[in-house]
Amino acid sequence: MGVLGRNYWNPFVETLPREKLRRLQIRNFRKILKYAKEHSGLYRETHQGIEPEDIRSMDDIRKIPMIDKEDLRCAQTGKEPFPFGDLLGVPVEEVSTFRQTSGTTGTPVYVPESWESWQWRVEVWCHILWMAGFRETDRVFIPFGYNVYVAFWEGHYAAEKLGCTVIPGGALDTKGRLNKIREVRATALLNTPTYGLHMAETARSLGLSPQEMGIARMVCAGEPLPDATRKRLEESWGAEVYDHIGGTEPCAWAAMCKERKGLHIMEPFFLVEILDMETLSREVEEGELGVAVVTPLGRRSFPLIRFNTKDVVRKGKSGCACGRTSMMIQGMAGRADDLRKIRGVLFTPVSVEEVVRGEFPEIAEYEIVVERKGIMDEISLKVEPEQEIGEEVMKELMKRISERLKMKTNLRFLIRPLKPGALPRYTLKSKRFRDLREMKGGEAS
Amino acid sequence: MIGTNGDLLRQMKTKIDGIENLVHELQLLGGGVPAIEKNAQCILSFTHALQFGISDIAEVEDL
Repeated sequence: MGVLGRNYWNPFVETLPREKLRRLQIRNFRKILKYAKEHSGLYRETHQGIEPEDIRSMDDIRKIPMIDKEDLRCAQTGKEPFPFGDLLGVPVEEVSTFRQTSGTTGTPVYVPESWESWQWRVEVWCHILWMAGFRETDRVFIPFGYNVYVAFWEGHYAAEKLGCTVIPGGALDTKGRLNKIREVRATALLNTPTYGLHMAETARSLGLSPQEMGIARMVCAGEPLPDATRKRLEESWGAEVYDHIGGTEPCAWAAMCKERKGLHIMEPFFLVEILDMETLSREVEEGELGVAVVTPLGRRSFPLIRFNTKDVVRKGKSGCACGRTSMMIQGMAGRADDLRKIRGVLFTPVSVEEVVRGEFPEIAEYEIVVERKGIMDEISLKVEPEQEIGEEVMKELMKRISERLKMKTNLRFLIRPLKPGALPRYTLKSKRFRDLREMKGGEAS
Repeated sequence: MIGTNGDLLRQMKTKIDGIENLVHELQLLGGGVPAIEKNAQCILSFTHALQFGISDIAEVEDL
């Protein structure tokens, strides 16, 4: 196996020809569906009359009902065994840990893991970290208290399994974390994009150069990471920065390799369908946007059959210069929940992030606000410069931002300048988009 | 291509099956002893990951 083997965490799955990958996925879909029907109350009820043995093709799979986060909430609220409810796929005494969704879109969901299922998730993350170049010699600093949020726990366990030295960075402020990175000579970070930028900003304010702190690579979690933000992080830290896509319920299901040109779907761990946004019935073509519907194929404690993630992604091709044969995702366009119609135009906050992070390095933070003014929607962008700038320079900057946003989104933004440091800094999920129309009972279709 | 190396995969699958069988035998021998039961369960979690990444590939090679 030699050198070639070291390029991959598991070359047998990562270079498997596509037609074999597909056969394996359909076989494992049958297995997990059979398991779910036999062990989970939810599927016994909702999947009556569906025979796993009859599933032979993707067309057959498309006839199986989907579930979404609201179904998971219903399966847990007031249902036994507390707090996991009907969906649980193992006896409750086998649950060794659980994580929770962040509650961004409603009541948090409890996601139970047996030791077996947890190790399956960790194995997926070993692939992610290995693809990003993490090796035994890395010292991995994780600048968070992880609480019940899953990604950093997965990254922590996987980095340990790889043989890295892991340094958890909870219970410190940002300055303390920067000092710890220098003290232990950390070489890698697991981070949220927002906090990665904030740490770099804080380092500079302390007279430190983040590029000279020895960080060689970073895997980001918790938020969408448009390429413009990823590149800004790379420039800030002088490091390779990698994205992944995933969630607490299904696990991480796509990640970047060293090429950093799109994300590999983690096949055959997952069966991922990218379906058209209108009907959710047709697999989209390469280059098209679609909603990701994900089935984790080997996780039994919390079986998810055709889970509608509501992540809107652009489908890529299969294969990559790295030699992996898996299907690619070109990038994440946002969450279906975040898509809004503003003055009749379909809008996603990621498009603003791409402009601000990609073209305006002088802007440190921003916030988008949508309001109803009379019968009209008004969209504004609060911008906070990196440092104090003169009135004339700010006017010119606002004009340029407004023009670029108009071109990118087809919407006229009201630009509101703020003083440096005026906007909040986030550590886990940022809240840079506020649609106040919903709060006042207005339309937000 | 490494992914088509059927003989090696089949050999590894045999070993993984062997580990699983040995652990089940150990569970029978040490039934009721928490140190045996819990450690055996942990080993089976790792064989699950190996079955997913190795044994399943060997099987699909043979389909």
